[in-house]
Amino acid sequence: MYYVAKVNADMCAEYKCNTCTLYCPEANTLMFNKDGNTSWVDEDRCKGCALCVYVCTDMLDRNCITMEMAGHEE
Amino acid sequence: MSLAYITPSERFKRYLPKDYVELIDFGPFGKTQEEAGPGNMGQFKELMEEHPMCSGCWMAYYIRLIFASLPCPEETVTIGTAGCGRLAISQAAVPFVYGNYGDQNAMASGLTRAFRLRFPDKQKDVITIAGDGGTMDIGFSMTMHSWIRGEKFTTIMLDNEVYGNTGGQSSGMSPKGAVLKMAPMGKDFEKMPATDLAKAAGCVYIVRMSPTNIKQAAKVIRRAIFVAREVGPTFIHAYTSCNIEYSIPTEDVFADAKEKGKGRFAFDEYMTDEAKIVIERVEGEEKAARKARKASKAEAVN
Repeated sequence: MYYVAKVNADMCAEYKCNTCTLYCPEANTLMFNKDGNTSWVDEDRCKGCALCVYVCTDMLDRNCITMEMAGHEE
Repeated sequence: MSLAYITPSERFKRYLPKDYVELIDFGPFGKTQEEAGPGNMGQFKELMEEHPMCSGCWMAYYIRLIFASLPCPEETVTIGTAGCGRLAISQAAVPFVYGNYGDQNAMASGLTRAFRLRFPDKQKDVITIAGDGGTMDIGFSMTMHSWIRGEKFTTIMLDNEVYGNTGGQSSGMSPKGAVLKMAPMGKDFEKMPATDLAKAAGCVYIVRMSPTNIKQAAKVIRRAIFVAREVGPTFIHAYTSCNIEYSIPTEDVFADAKEKGKGRFAFDEYMTDEAKIVIERVEGEEKAARKARKASKAEAVN
């Protein structure tokens, strides 16, 4: 049981922003989809450091990324 | 290798390793920095792959940035030594040589000279990426002598101010007063003046920085490589925190790097006049090439 980052795609698509993908310490993990203008997370690779949450919430005040239990579906 | 012969023919593609073909189709091989560079990380397959470094490691982040900013990854060789950094550097699609502890700059000296003899018509980049222990403590003599001899390659020091890989012993680069293993009452001595030593030893391009600004960090890496090709040794001293030994919560790692960037890792760039000439020439050429590409794109649309 561990936490991974989850991007709220609808909220993220409102901004043409890929700042979080530039600050992830893992390569090929937090990716940007140019067609939908959203970031998405490869959950198998995410180590759950929450650096992207800092970028999205504290730096940009957009609150699109949250930490959630891996594999957890609502 | 050159780009012309790393592009596989269509019929041969399915016999090649999948990772390699993906790097050509979706990765940076054969692409410009605008198409697959640090500015759009997350939109292409990167040279670096999954690595076993800790969650939220700023060193892993900086290594990712180094590989994204390489001007010519297919002609580059990285050299590392024991320490955290090598865990990630060795996971990239760039040839990596692993030395005994501390001898990365001595090996790089030989390798650069050998490349110049073996490939006189090509520009091979040699980059040593090692921690503060490998560069400034145990590899100190080899680092200094490679600079004094004026060997033409880039040295990047990933300074986490501690021996993170072996459990948190204090290093020569730890700041005074830091409480670490082997320094339970706080370290007694000052942090080593790495950039001043580099200047005294004859490095022609020296930067001290905390990599929080992507554009600036990428520019510095590229400048260091371009200058090393022609003029002499270059040195980048980058702050890459150890969030485990310095007990930094992972989500605050970026904030910590920013804070250090205002303090003892304030951006400081030194270059000699010869290095400046090279930088101005190369960056002017790059700008012109960018303009030409833009113009031809606009023409194609019209």
